[in-house]
Amino acid sequence: MVVKVSLNLVDLLREYAVKSYIMKPNRLVIEIEAGKLREVFTKLTEVLGKEAFYLATIEGTDLPEKNLIRVDYFINVFKHNAYLVLRTYLPRENPVIPSVTDLIPGALAGELETYDLLGVLFNGNNHLRRSFFVSEDISSKGIYPLRKDSGV
Amino acid sequence: MVEATHMIEIPITVEIPVGPQHPALHEPLLLKLYADGERVIKVDVITGYNHRGVEKLAEKNSFYRDIFIVGRVCGICNAVHANCYVRALEYMLGIDPPPRAKYLRVLAMELERMHSHMLILAVTAELAGYETLFMYLMKDREYVMKAKEILTGQRVLADYMMVGGVRRDVDETKISRILDMVKRVEERVKYYHKAFQEDITINRRLRDAGRIKHAEVLAHSLVGPVARGSGVKTDVRAQDKYDAYGEIPFNVITEDYGDSYARAMVRFGELYESINMVKHILTHLPQGNPVPDEKKLPRRFPVDESYATVEAPRGELTYYVSSSGSDKPYRVKIRTPSLNNIVNSAFAYVDQMIADVPVILGSFDPCISCMERAIITNLKEGTRYQVPLKALGGVRK
Amino acid sequence: MEKVKIIRYSPWLVHFNTGACNGCDIEVLASITPHYDPERFGVRLAPSVRHGDVLVVTGAVTKKAAERLKRLYEQMPEPKFVVAVGACALSGGVFHGSYPVVGGADKVVKVDVYVPGCPPRPEAILDGIIKLLKKLDGGESEPKPS
Repeated sequence: MVVKVSLNLVDLLREYAVKSYIMKPNRLVIEIEAGKLREVFTKLTEVLGKEAFYLATIEGTDLPEKNLIRVDYFINVFKHNAYLVLRTYLPRENPVIPSVTDLIPGALAGELETYDLLGVLFNGNNHLRRSFFVSEDISSKGIYPLRKDSGV
Repeated sequence: MVEATHMIEIPITVEIPVGPQHPALHEPLLLKLYADGERVIKVDVITGYNHRGVEKLAEKNSFYRDIFIVGRVCGICNAVHANCYVRALEYMLGIDPPPRAKYLRVLAMELERMHSHMLILAVTAELAGYETLFMYLMKDREYVMKAKEILTGQRVLADYMMVGGVRRDVDETKISRILDMVKRVEERVKYYHKAFQEDITINRRLRDAGRIKHAEVLAHSLVGPVARGSGVKTDVRAQDKYDAYGEIPFNVITEDYGDSYARAMVRFGELYESINMVKHILTHLPQGNPVPDEKKLPRRFPVDESYATVEAPRGELTYYVSSSGSDKPYRVKIRTPSLNNIVNSAFAYVDQMIADVPVILGSFDPCISCMERAIITNLKEGTRYQVPLKALGGVRK
Repeated sequence: MEKVKIIRYSPWLVHFNTGACNGCDIEVLASITPHYDPERFGVRLAPSVRHGDVLVVTGAVTKKAAERLKRLYEQMPEPKFVVAVGACALSGGVFHGSYPVVGGADKVVKVDVYVPGCPPRPEAILDGIIKLLKKLDGGESEPKPS
């Protein structure tokens, strides 16, 4: 049953969880400190095993009223029919978070995208560059399109 | 380090909706392969083209207008895009559509899976050098296009999904016509399946090309038939059981070997499953009115967020939608299966022969047409020339 | 006389996607398959740009694609013609007004035939090409009432 597994995951990540709640329809959100991201992924791999899950989506959102940028990692724990969301908040003036591409190569696409569109710096990812997705005329002005004040 | 003798650039357009607000939903990527003689030694996926996207555009339009915009992210899989987005909205509003609408939604999405798989299998045949099979498959795919038209009113862009249900109903005549179309397709699919299994060219070109292991699939977040071709048993329809998938029997198809042939076989298996699902739906359709009264739908959405997933023909497609209380979304994040399957799959080409590259690329099901061209640069002589993508297959020998 | 000219004229198509959802592209692809039998009009895909007679443009035409479209058009030898397929190629479609969508193929190249639709049916695309041929021949593109 989905609920039981969700509880196990909360238990599992208890030492990292700042907060936890459900995102509709039934996704378990666990808020963690950005700096602990790699430890959490390592713990998940250790306990669930590499064959139990994959990183499905990395999503960043600009929250200018809170002076934060939020980065969510959506993890499909398909073996247990559950979806886990690791939620982190970064300061808007300096949105830096460790890259996880050495642990999970599949994070590459999402990190590249979130860097180019929102300006989040994934420390340790050497492939980050502007204009991977965004057009030159915009990136050359230093604009991150998905920021609320980007003007595009 | 071995030095490259040739560089091959393949421009491909995939349905990744990123960038600033504007459309041209297709993100042209460039697959840059460095080859030493006939063997690929290094791969870069780079972009050097203009990009724009739907996500910013979605923030500037109402929740409902966005249904028609996201449907145009990808013409080939527009029904799943609209469905996933609409369900994200329904989760936020706490709306549960009537059973008949759920069945009809699955009908639209499975017909779409059929046309999409037949298209990429036709393209695969073409890239492997079997042009006649391409033409035959495309001809029989027309039955599915007709069925889609009968159901949704349009061959390609269905514009069928709406918050609370679907936008039009079916009657007995339509049901029997769609059933007729699908039965004809079933016979033909069996024939093509056999052709793929028995044809010497297809076997020689597809087998062992681009072999991916089970662990590599998960590590690189590959999804859909690409994942299932390597034995990874993941399918969002079975996991989330959205719409009517919890009630309609079907199997998740996997193959173990993980090469381009396995991925093609997964698609054939899924074709049979879709055909059976369509037949089941048409003979078990619940009664009721599947079309919602749009005037009763709220203009403003409450402050909330949701994450919906759908099994698109190419794999898991995800929509994250959040509302800050207005009539327009605060954030819409679309992660298409091709973002993962194309950007993260560069490793699959390393140590492969140039001749196998078109077939491997085709097996990942990008929005590629066989009319695509590759630009080959001879690094030693500095010469450049263009060839049709499938001509790379002739580079061997 | 006129009929013979049409039969002898065999238009080879070059297709270019300027940034579209691929809806129009798969209908263009479908229109060259046996179900629609384009070969009875002599219509087929050109093996290369330099053999093309008719440029079929799909997509909303983004700025970068506009440059490539212009270059492609210049590479085609005379006589050459352009068919804009789909709402996006006509005017930008759903995305009209968004910068930097140029908003229509005719802002970049001279368009001879517009085929509206989102996407248009393969029959409509072929019909557009046939109307082009009849127009070129100096003939009527619509049948005269008897």
